[in-house]
Parts: sequence; C-alpha cells; structure tokens
Amino acid sequence: MRIVGEWFRRLAFLLRRRAVEDELRREMESHRAMMDEPRAFGNTLRLRDEARDAWGWRWLDELAQDIRFAWRTLRRSPGFTLTAILTLAFGIGVNIGMFRLVNGLLLRPLYERPEEVIAVSSRSTKPDGDFRGVSYPNYVDLREGTTSVFADLSAASDLFVGLDVGEGPRRTRAWAVTANYFDVFGVPLALGRAFSPDEERPGANIRVAIISHRLWQQRKAGATIIGQTVRVNGEPFTITGVAAEGFSGTSTPGPELWLPLGAHDTLNSEPASATRGLSARDVHELTVVGRVRAGVPVESAAPAVATVARRLEQSFPDVNAGYTFEASEPMRLLFMPGARGGAFTLLALTLMIMPVTVLLVACLNLADLLLARGHVRRQELAIRSSLGGGRWRITRQLLTESLLLAFAGGAAGLVLSSWAIEALMTSLGPLLPAAVNLPAIDLDWRVLAGTVGFCVAASLVFGAWPAWTLTGRAVVADLKRHVGDQGRQPGGIRIGNALVIGQVALSVLLLVTGGLFLMSAITAVTADPGFSLDGGVVAQIDPGLAGYDQARGRQVQTALVDRLRTTPGVEAASIGSGFPFTSGDSRLVAPVGGADAESRSVDSVFTVTGRDFARVLGLSLLTGRDFTDAETLPGSERVAIIDDALAQRLWPGTNALGQLIQFLDEETPDARPPLRVIGIIPALKHSINNPRPFPHVYVPLGQQYSSAMLLHVRGRGKEAERALLGTVARVIRETDPRVPILGLETWRDHLDNTIDVLLLRVAAQIFSTFGIIALLLAVIGVYGVKSYVVSRRTREFGIRIAAGAHPRLLLWHVLREGSRTTAIGIGIGLVLALGAGQVLQGMLYGIKSVEPLVLAGAPLILFTASLLASFLPALRATRVDPTIALRSE
Amino acid sequence: MPRDTGLPPGTLMMVVLRVLMRQPLHGYAIAQTIRQRSRDELSVEEGSLYPALQKLLLKGWVKASWRESESGRQVREYRITASGRRQLDDEMAEYRRMSSAIDVLLKEA
Repeated sequence: MRIVGEWFRRLAFLLRRRAVEDELRREMESHRAMMDEPRAFGNTLRLRDEARDAWGWRWLDELAQDIRFAWRTLRRSPGFTLTAILTLAFGIGVNIGMFRLVNGLLLRPLYERPEEVIAVSSRSTKPDGDFRGVSYPNYVDLREGTTSVFADLSAASDLFVGLDVGEGPRRTRAWAVTANYFDVFGVPLALGRAFSPDEERPGANIRVAIISHRLWQQRKAGATIIGQTVRVNGEPFTITGVAAEGFSGTSTPGPELWLPLGAHDTLNSEPASATRGLSARDVHELTVVGRVRAGVPVESAAPAVATVARRLEQSFPDVNAGYTFEASEPMRLLFMPGARGGAFTLLALTLMIMPVTVLLVACLNLADLLLARGHVRRQELAIRSSLGGGRWRITRQLLTESLLLAFAGGAAGLVLSSWAIEALMTSLGPLLPAAVNLPAIDLDWRVLAGTVGFCVAASLVFGAWPAWTLTGRAVVADLKRHVGDQGRQPGGIRIGNALVIGQVALSVLLLVTGGLFLMSAITAVTADPGFSLDGGVVAQIDPGLAGYDQARGRQVQTALVDRLRTTPGVEAASIGSGFPFTSGDSRLVAPVGGADAESRSVDSVFTVTGRDFARVLGLSLLTGRDFTDAETLPGSERVAIIDDALAQRLWPGTNALGQLIQFLDEETPDARPPLRVIGIIPALKHSINNPRPFPHVYVPLGQQYSSAMLLHVRGRGKEAERALLGTVARVIRETDPRVPILGLETWRDHLDNTIDVLLLRVAAQIFSTFGIIALLLAVIGVYGVKSYVVSRRTREFGIRIAAGAHPRLLLWHVLREGSRTTAIGIGIGLVLALGAGQVLQGMLYGIKSVEPLVLAGAPLILFTASLLASFLPALRATRVDPTIALRSE
Repeated sequence: MPRDTGLPPGTLMMVVLRVLMRQPLHGYAIAQTIRQRSRDELSVEEGSLYPALQKLLLKGWVKASWRESESGRQVREYRITASGRRQLDDEMAEYRRMSSAIDVLLKEA
C-alpha cells in the first residue's frame, strides 16, 4: 500500500512537473530572502536539480536529453542517417516479414484458450496402428459419453466442392460440420446463425451454408448476404452466416465454406459414402474436435475417450474391435500433417535463420559505419569526456543514437515487410490448389514485440561494441592530436576489416544456398519426365461439381474425349485420373497366387485411364494391347496395363503379359478381385525428387469412377500448344456448358506448377532474394570501410605521391588490400556454405550440395562486386593532392 | 560557526520529522530550529535540506502548504502526517535500541 502511494505521488510529480518546479523556486527564493546572509545560499539552479532528484526521475531526463542530442546529431549528417536507416530497414524488414509469416502460420493461436481444444482420433490398437476417421454414429456415442469432460464435442469432414458465387464454378475446400462446431472455438460468427441439429442429421440435406469472412468481403453485400444463395456442386445453398474474420477452425489454411453435416452425402462424390451415407457406423469420414469444460483438467480427456472406445468395441465389435480413441492436440498445418508442438518451434526457428543472417550482415555493416564515424567524432567525444561525461554516460548516449536509428529502421522495415508480404501472398495466391482462406498475417502484439526485439537486438549488436571501443580511448591524446594517425594501422581499420570479412562470409553463405536452390529449381523444371511434353495440353474437369451423378458423369467424360479425338489439330486425346510425374494415388500391387504373393507387393502409382493414354503421352506399347472402349464402361472385364518397371519387379525375367495382379490396399481378400495384365508400356519417372523410373499401374475407366478427371490432349508440336488451349476450352463448352473447367494449361506449365517444383521455386526465390540483399549490404559495407580507410590515410598517400609513386601503383595497392579482406571472407563463407549444403542436401533436387558452378559463381560475383566497391575509394586515393594532404594535418 | 553536519540522509529525515512534531514550519525555520536546538552543534545546508524535504513529501510523511508568515511573506510550510508520526516513532525506537546497544558495548569493552 505504501509503495503504491509512493508511486502514485511520483507519477503525480511527473504530470505536474512545471508547477512543482515553480513551487520549489518560490520556496527557495523566500528561504533566501529570510537569511541574514542571502549569498550563503548555494546555486539555486543546482539546488533545485538536487532536490528534484529525490523523486527518482533523473534517468528519464537524461534519456530525453540523449534522444534530443541524438536527433540533432543524426540530422546533421543526413547521408549517414539515411544509409543507416535503409540498411536497417532491409535487415529488420525481412525479419519482420518472415516473422509475421511464421507468426500467422505457426505461432498465433487460431482461437481462444487453445490449450482446452482437443482432437479425438480413432486408432488401431495394434503396435504402430493406423489412424482412421470417426463415423457419425460413433461420434454421437462419443459425444454423449463424455459430456462430463467436454463442453462441446464437434465433428467435421473436409470436402472439395465446386463453388459458384456467380462467376462460374471453381474447386474449393469446404468443411461439413456439426451444429456445435463454432461453439467449440468460442469465436462467434460475424453475422447470421450457426447450423441447427436438424441440419446436422446425416441425410437431412438442408441446403444452407456459412461463408468465410473473406468471401463475404469480396461479395460486398453487407448484411444482405444472409439469405442470398451460392451454388455448391450446382445446387443452390442459402447463406445463413458469415464466419469471424480470419476464422479457419483448427487448421490453416482454412476453408471458404462451411456446410451442415447433413448435406455431406450429396456433396461427396466418393463412392463409399455416396452410396451408404454418413449414418452408417462403418463410414469413417469425420474428424472430431472438442473443448474441455472449464475447470476440468485437460488430461482427463484421454481416459474418458478411451473408456467410450472400449464400450464401442463391445457393442459393435464388427466395426470397432481393435480400435480406440486418442486425444491429441489438433493439427495446425494442413500441408504438413503431423507437425505439432516441438516440431513447430523447430520449423519456426529454421525459417528465421535466413533473415536473422541478413540482419547480422546489416548490423556488421552499421558497426562499420559507426566506427568510421566515431573516429571522425573522436574530438567531440574527447571534449565531452574532459567536461566530465563519464564513460558509461557517453556510451549510453551513443547507444541512444543507435537505438534511435534502429527504431527508425524498424518502422521503415515494418512498412517494407507489409509490401513484401503483400507481394508474397499475391505470388503464392495462384499457386495454391484451391482458393483457400489464409490466416490473417496482420499485426498483433507478437509482431510488434518481435519488431521491438529485433530493433533492440540489432542496435546492441551494431552499436554496443563501437560505442564502448570509442569511449575507451585516451582522451587527452585525442584532444591534442588532430584526427589521423600516422605510422601504425589504426585500430578502427583493423576492426573494420574484421567486420567486412564477417559480412562477406555471411553473404557467400546466403548466395551459395540461394544458388543451390535456384539450380535445383532449374533442374527440376527441365527434368525429363520420361515422355515428351511438346504439344501437350491438360484440362481439369469435374462433372460432379455440376451436380452430375456417376451415370451422367461417365457420359459426359466419354463424350468429351470422343469430341476431342475428332477435333482438327488434335493428334491424340485421352482421359486419366492423374498426371504422370506428379504425386497421385498409389496402390500396393501384388501377383495373385503363390504363398509369398503378399510379400512381393510393390508400391505403384495408380491411374484410372481411358483408351489411348500411352499414345497421348507419345509412348508405344512394349507388348500387349491398349484398353478398348468397351473396357472403359462399368461391368467390363477386369484388366490392367502396367509399366515395365512394375513388370520387372513382379515377374523378373518372365513375361508379365496375361498374369493376374491384385491390390493389397483393400482389407478383405474378397474386395481384391484379380486383374489381368493386358499390356506393358515404358516406365515413367514419378517425382522430381526421385529421378529413377517408378512402377505404375493403369486400370480402365470402367472399373472405377472418379468425377474429377484430367483430359489429356496432344497437338502437333510445341507451336500448336497455345492454339490448342483455346480449342480444348471451346470443345468442352460446346459439349456441355455446365461442366466447369477447373484448370487448363500446357503440360509444361502443369508440371512447373506442381507443388514440389513450387516449393523449390519458392525456396530459390526466397534464398536468392536474401542472398542479393546480403550482397548489396556487403557491397555497401566494403565501400564504406574502403572510403574510410582511404580518407584516414590521405596523408600517407600524399607523401607517397610526393615521393613519386605512380597513381596506378597506388590504385593497385588499395585494391590489393581490399581483395585480401574479401578473399579471407570468401574462404570462411565457403566453409560455412559447405556445411549448410550438407544440412540442406535433402531439400535439393538433381544436384549435389557441392556444386562447382555455384561454389565458383557466388564468390566470383561477390569478389567482383567488392572490387568495384573499393574501386571508387581507391581512385580517390590516387587523386590526393600532396600539398593539400600534407597541410591538412 | 556551526559545522555542516554531514548527517546521513536517513538521520536528517528523522531529525526534520522530530522538529516538525512540535509545529508546522517552513524550510528556513526548520534549518534555524535544528541549529538552535543542537546549540549550534548541527547545521543543515540547503543542499541537504531540500532533497530531504522532497523525499519526505514523496514518502508521504509530510505535507506542504503555502501560508502568509507574520512578516507578510509567502512561505511554504511543512506539516507532519499521521504516517510520518508512525515512521518517526519506529525510527526513534530503532535508534534508541541501537544506541543503548552500542553504549553497553562501549562500556564493557
């Protein structure tokens, strides 16, 4: 209580400072007037100062003083200030940018009190048991059996749907959710209402939808959005609500649309749930997330759900035997399943390494500049020190200057980072598989705290050492002597060279890593997939999104391929569930018969195709025959085409034609009817990360229906590609205008846009950008130090010239000195880069981490750049006028 | 000529509180009183007195108010507060305890 009162009075003093000051003055005057000997009263100004110190605000006064002084000093040298702020803006800006991304994707909680929210998953009790989804009846039993633990337990299913908000259908992610879904997260809807239990009931098919905040803003409809309709898979859905801004459920990126669980069955084109529906106990489609009741320990969730699991095992052994429920933290990154807790921190740290390295380069740079400037300012510092400024006091003043610079740089960096993120998001937007609801990357306290942290850390790194060094010199000597040392190499220069070496080394490191990723990206894009890409065009269609059932979908797919085959300019056309060389479906393929059949299974890429699939890729059958049109209809004979990679693995040395295969993925042997191999085609590579041919198996359209398919069309040569794009679009529209075209591009573009190539490209882009920024900073640093060195040695150069040294010799002398520093830096940088290459090896494609081109190229660029940077100062050295130089000191 | 006391700041604050116990006084009067009551043994310089008074204000042990003196001059008068009295009691008790302990020690040694 006492302390509180004291602080209260202390603050009151601060607020009415002028009045108190005035009171003190009057009081002292009256005191003085009463004295017999008024002159004995001391210096009133000093006395007032001392009296005021009792209130403990002296540090604030000094800080204000320091800031005012720093402001004046910096304003007097605008060139230095601008350079410093720009350097810092880059250095801090990239850090804030990356940190904002990391914060949005990984750190910032997606909802209130995240520790209470728990995911429940169904898992086999076998060792290393597989996870499966949860069926709706199991979920209901789980919900009802755990009401004492969970305040709300919700279920949801992730879907891809065709969404049409009036601009034609496009593929997007939607979550079908239970009525209590939004309650779990404690984030109220921005508008409208959540779903009702009636709408949740499987099979209810009440067509209502909640849209994302972003979608709502794009439509610019205000509150009238409620009651409007959007088309989902061709059917009108009434909008009943708008999710809160940035809401994305448990994971990021979030969906654009939430639908009631009751509408799930009609929206999902997967055959299993389409025929049986969510109400079946063995359709395990849902993910379950709940919030633990307030006051109930989070740990009690695991035993509670396990108890329900045991009860379910007994009541429904045919479905639930051998499965239990597990409680865990919900998954956050959709594109990185399994990343939780510690792995997140690691990922966040890894992502921050690069920008922090750039900031380090920027700091070294500034330390250079400050040291150089400090030596020029030594007279000023000496005077201040001789007037009674303690070392600590002067150091503090210099640090204030650094801090001011850092905050100015940080503010500029904050603006810079906003642009950078905008640019990054815009460039990432079209690359994402569907329009997704990215997390809000805006400012929050973490970003602001991070910015302040970066600024303070930076100013300490670049400011503390120079400040301490500069204030520690023998001041008297500095006062007497004019600026400029004679005989010895000045300490500032030696330190400056060390800083340049550090900068160059770090720049080499960043440039080399950037180069490695750049080369990976180039190699990946130019990689040979095993077939010719020339003249190929691919269109992505999904009749299911127009609301077509299987029968009509098949009809449309067949009609489209037939029309394309007869279109002029088309050499071959086919249809397939996947694109070669990109990740896709896979199956465990094993021969039928023989005791060891199962152990000989081979993991193969699985593609559903029509006739002519090999032909459209420009491959010829090695042996056997292609599928017939009859085999692309349901109920036809079960046949398959495999490639020679699979044939050799399954039947080495013997003819695979006519053999029987089965897919081991189906759990029961009844569900694995054998397929007869009728043809063998050349193997294709499967992924850019694996240059070896990968086993493939192809089954005809008749055996499995998939609504989302790719139409492959090949025209005559590369030149025809562009024209063919228009032709294919026209043919699809003419055949059935309701079928949405979800993508239409050349094969080459399609491959360039696959996620693997994309990641490489993003990495190459980011690393190169960081490398270039570091290079720039290093060049500025080299230039700064060289200029400083030359200016400090003006006198020496003057003497040399007076003694008859040839200007060219002098130029050579300065350049050679600069080269030595750079060379040492490059040497250290190369060692670092080799180490980094080892670490990054797994992320590179098609090249070794020791890549001569990169290892030679990056240093060459740096060396040339730093040579150029020292050229100007060197030139200045040759132009020193000996008479002026000698007189100047 | 009285010597400058060089009293430690804490002790000076106690002395000032003690002087204010009898009646409210302004700064000059405080200095005078200390001097007279110590029979010219102790004097307090303005350089020590005013910081001490500010400290007492900060601690809330005294309150200050402006008043017109008998000579018609505006003076700032300090008045001890309840918590100032408590503080003085505590410190006096502590001081007596310490000084008697030291007394005993000095006599025995």
